[in-house]
Amino acid sequence: MSAPLKVRINGQPIESPCPDERILLDLLREDLNLTGTKRGCDLGTCGCCTVWIDGRPTLSCLTLARSAEGREVTTIEGISPGTGMNDVQRAFVEKGATQCGFCTPGFVMTATALLRDRPHPSREEIVRAISGNLCRCTGYTKIIEAVESAASGGTS
Amino acid sequence: MSAAEPPREYRLLGGRIPYVEGPLKVTGRAEYTDDIKRPGMLVGGLLRSPWPHARLRAVDVTKARAMPGVYAVLTGDRYPTPFGVLPITHDETAIAVGKARYIGDIVAAVAASDERTAEAALAAIRVEVDPLPEYADPQMGLGPVAEPIHARGLAGSNIQKEVVQHFGDVDAAFALARHAIRVRGNFAGVTHGFTEPMATIAEATPDGRLTVWSATQVPHYLHRALSEVLGIPMHRIRVIKPEVGGGFGGKSDPLPHEIVCAALALETGRPVKIRFDREDVFLTNHGRHPTQNEVRIAADAEGKILAYDIQAVIDGGAWSSFGTVTTYYNGVLAMGPYRVPNFRYRGRRVYTNKPPSGAMRAHGGTNIRYSVEVALDELAEAVGVDPFDLRARNALPPHSTTVNEFRITSTSFRACLAASRSKSGWDGKFRKLPYGEGIGLGAGFYISGSNSPIHFTPKMPQCTVHLKVDMDGGIAVHCMQADIGQGSNTLLAAIVAEVVGADLERVHVIRVDSDVSPVDLGSYSSRVTFMMGNAARRAAEDLKGQLLRAASELTGHPVDQLVVGHERIEVRHRPDRSVSFLEALHKAMEKVGALTATGAYSSPPMGGTFKGARAGTAPAYSFAAYVAQVRVDAETGVFQVDHVWAAFDCGRVLNRLAVEGQIEGSVHMGLGQLMGESMNYRTTRLMNPSLLEYKILAPQQMPKVDCLLVGEDDPEGPFGAKEAGEGPLVATLPAVANALYDAVGVRFYDLPITPDKVVKGIEERRRSGRAWKGE
Amino acid sequence: MHLHPFELHRPTTVEETVRLARGLPGGFDWLAGGTDLLPNYKMHLNVRPHLIALGGVDELRGRSGGRVGAMTRLGDLERDSEFGASYPGLAEAIGEVATPLVRESATIGGNLLVETRCFFFNQSLPWRESLGYCLKADGDRCHVVPQKVKCYATFSGDVAPALAVLDARVEVAGPDGRRSVPLLALYDAAGDGIRRTHLGPGELLVAIDLPDSARGMPANYQKLRVRPAFDFPELGLAAAGRIVDGRVESLALAAGGLETYPRRFDELTGPLLGERLSEERIRALAESVRLAVRPVHNTFLAPDYRRRMVAVFVRRAVARLGSVPGGTAG
Repeated sequence: MSAPLKVRINGQPIESPCPDERILLDLLREDLNLTGTKRGCDLGTCGCCTVWIDGRPTLSCLTLARSAEGREVTTIEGISPGTGMNDVQRAFVEKGATQCGFCTPGFVMTATALLRDRPHPSREEIVRAISGNLCRCTGYTKIIEAVESAASGGTS
Repeated sequence: MSAAEPPREYRLLGGRIPYVEGPLKVTGRAEYTDDIKRPGMLVGGLLRSPWPHARLRAVDVTKARAMPGVYAVLTGDRYPTPFGVLPITHDETAIAVGKARYIGDIVAAVAASDERTAEAALAAIRVEVDPLPEYADPQMGLGPVAEPIHARGLAGSNIQKEVVQHFGDVDAAFALARHAIRVRGNFAGVTHGFTEPMATIAEATPDGRLTVWSATQVPHYLHRALSEVLGIPMHRIRVIKPEVGGGFGGKSDPLPHEIVCAALALETGRPVKIRFDREDVFLTNHGRHPTQNEVRIAADAEGKILAYDIQAVIDGGAWSSFGTVTTYYNGVLAMGPYRVPNFRYRGRRVYTNKPPSGAMRAHGGTNIRYSVEVALDELAEAVGVDPFDLRARNALPPHSTTVNEFRITSTSFRACLAASRSKSGWDGKFRKLPYGEGIGLGAGFYISGSNSPIHFTPKMPQCTVHLKVDMDGGIAVHCMQADIGQGSNTLLAAIVAEVVGADLERVHVIRVDSDVSPVDLGSYSSRVTFMMGNAARRAAEDLKGQLLRAASELTGHPVDQLVVGHERIEVRHRPDRSVSFLEALHKAMEKVGALTATGAYSSPPMGGTFKGARAGTAPAYSFAAYVAQVRVDAETGVFQVDHVWAAFDCGRVLNRLAVEGQIEGSVHMGLGQLMGESMNYRTTRLMNPSLLEYKILAPQQMPKVDCLLVGEDDPEGPFGAKEAGEGPLVATLPAVANALYDAVGVRFYDLPITPDKVVKGIEERRRSGRAWKGE
Repeated sequence: MHLHPFELHRPTTVEETVRLARGLPGGFDWLAGGTDLLPNYKMHLNVRPHLIALGGVDELRGRSGGRVGAMTRLGDLERDSEFGASYPGLAEAIGEVATPLVRESATIGGNLLVETRCFFFNQSLPWRESLGYCLKADGDRCHVVPQKVKCYATFSGDVAPALAVLDARVEVAGPDGRRSVPLLALYDAAGDGIRRTHLGPGELLVAIDLPDSARGMPANYQKLRVRPAFDFPELGLAAAGRIVDGRVESLALAAGGLETYPRRFDELTGPLLGERLSEERIRALAESVRLAVRPVHNTFLAPDYRRRMVAVFVRRAVARLGSVPGGTAG
């Protein structure tokens, strides 16, 4: 049995008696009740389970929890300021980029990281950046609009 | 994307109303079924048949039952009562009884302390079977078969439902026709692909009640099925619908696992959760039927339609589901926006040993309208007339009756044609773009709510809405309508707010809970906007009346001099005399306490009296004319749809954001079926039960979509509105297929149109010596 | 979906890793990015009781000039603009792997050794059980080409062909020390979908070495798939070479996504060296490459179509390397 897993999640140090084979998504959802991160396919295709590890968007369904040892994991709960929303989240609401909402946390994690690294991406860059997240409701149209809007400070 | 928005007559309705649950969804705070945990909750697991068709000789669960951590093991004999979404075709059971009918059919279930234990218990179950003949091809089931999949198959065959209809005299019309077109379509099955896998939690408590949380589009039908199969009266069952991560029809049947989950809860006395893997979702399917159809159209010298003669063989898979409706729709939804004076249809839905087909967005209309619209494109070419002119020539006028006695009220189909023709620049492009580029037209037509409720007893409205307002001034809205992401909660809140003059944030749509939500039949058949919208409006008018009477008392002005303003009630032409919403509310509450209000909707009588006359009747219909522009790489067959001009008639637009969202999502889903989505079977085995191998389109494949919303008010729709959830899908597919023809001169009758088919089609055309657009 | 219990080992040096690998009873797998291994483990495909995670071995990470650590993430290489400018064809191939999210975790070494794929293999345990399993996992027969000897699972990496045309070498560490071999010597052309590399027990990839000649070499990569994201290659064709004024100074072609291993076509391109290209010559080359490959029906698109596209891609690849007639669309 390994020593307890030590990891920071949304800024808080966590210790968990985590078996080696525990998947990060399961640690988050089942053990820590961080249910904002969604399980869509569990095989790395749909992107619903996207979190950040040390700031990089990561598929938590294809990551061993132990791989996050000593690192910083950020989930949708961690990027939402208190009871409010960040710019990307506000734009998603305003533009109707969320319908059923199940893919939304994953898209928000991807889009927030994109705009952090590239504050003014082209439309092509946005399309490419979100091309690991599946959405079945919106045809991506309003998601792309929302990211463009957030990039321009909510004015478009 | 939209053109300049017309001036609005309403404060909220007609604008862009962000979804009310949006802030919860973007922050991960919206609660879906799998996000819920109950104390002491067990994990439910399902053993699925590895056999396509087999008689179950013995299911030995002794070993599994004895395993530590296993709380219950169920087989089919425990709750064998058949059920199904349609009362006339109850042929499903919670767990297979007697035989397994497809690879994936549930043959046993367990409840265990955790996932690993459940898996081990399932592996310990021994099933002995006699394999039975396997039926993969519906054509093989049209006549008597050695082992019918269901005893109810027609005359010893696997035919689940046969529909034969004939109106007018089709043979006479063909004898007179100047043009006769025949198209034979072949459509792979497709599935919904919602992102949230099904999940259900059930909990039986010592007070004799059963609570079920489930990802469903039809909480009421689930409620009924649970009661019927488990033998518990409905009032002792409570159905709760948390947020649902998409449905598109895939959660519109009561499903076996929901009943199994409840049964396991009853057996164990503990809460039980069943959460699906993605493969379970594919095996549960209920998606669009694999279909072979044949459309013959007779027309006169000017291209006026004289007759349709249609046949369809529909692959139903292992169960009936909505199949009887599907069989009718494949005929009656073919006529659509056109006047068709003579009509003949023979449709047969056939059981096969595959995952069941069912209702999927634009159910029953998508495949047949594809073949019809491709045939009309061919007809236009044969007649030598522009495809737009051909369709305008045949357009059904408003307030008319079809040959099969559908009542058509509003139709803005001609306005749809005019809008997509001008906005797309059609006249400068059609047959004028260079080889490899093309533009095409497809038209759509869909029901705005089925006129027939699925259940007739007891007789009741199709939707009821309750409002409750207490001294806090918040308006609680209760209704069993199922928001599955399409925005019905938002519309419900907006209608109430609009009518009573309240701010939207005053209105709280309460989560669907059968203990408090009055019945709405659910989210299917594009019924919610029309039916719930009307019920909500009536409930809100009821509340408004109560507030106006109170305001009358306060102001001394009679009710007919009062009008609702924003958060106030005003005396007409006397802006200085008004009372606030809260003042009126508190006055109204003086004698009765919290106010309640109610509204309901029942569709008016309509349709003919012949057998099956009700199928496809609706209080209104949506119409569409889409133009698509494509670019084809003629060497690889890979093509890109660059632009879709989606002219759509949903009557008055109530929430522009939601209508656009439905159109854009529909275009995406329709293109998916056209470009690559397919349930790939080798005989009865599904080869691609994963989101990696089931090809939902990537964002790069999405065209620019212009939503051209040209509908006029419908006389019976709420504020003049009609559906916008399913109709927007239909026209997408033929518009692109006809554009491909314009691009490379090849007709495609087999869906999906994968690049290999494009290459092959071009090669065959060249081999036949036919050049195209100076290639 | 949960994983079977295993023990996870996290060495920090190559030497420690090699030592560790020798003493693990019951077998082990390397864990690189996990984006290929963990889905397979979730489907209970050839699982092992030990996993050796390579993420903590510093030497395996990062790039220095033409040397790329095997554990360098594809996403990091994608963001490395100097790398992209130096090796344009390689950058194209990396940018086409799966999805941006997968590339954040997936490593270049992992992509070189990605498990071969097949419709009858990449399935859940119950799915495979219903068919009696297959040669590659738990069974004794092949369902693609019915027989009991050879596995036809398809090599589905994008990066290997793009590296192969640049004459890349790989450094391998193992119980017998380190060795450097040409990339394609890693793959067993006489093997099959199961016996697919020449890596010995306990050998791991340390780094990829690109020769100086590769820097700035005109190169490209084309990928056939149903969607421009998500999908594995149904055909991946890499090309590199210098064609000056229509004359071939150097030319290499390599393909993946067709057979059980990635391969180059030197025997077909060799005769063109020093020759002047013509439309007929390019077509003949394309046709000869098409005839040389033998895809089977174990992926989404039909094998005869994939094979035809080999010819189209070869023509386009050569056209992009040098401005020559007959290589464009239409």
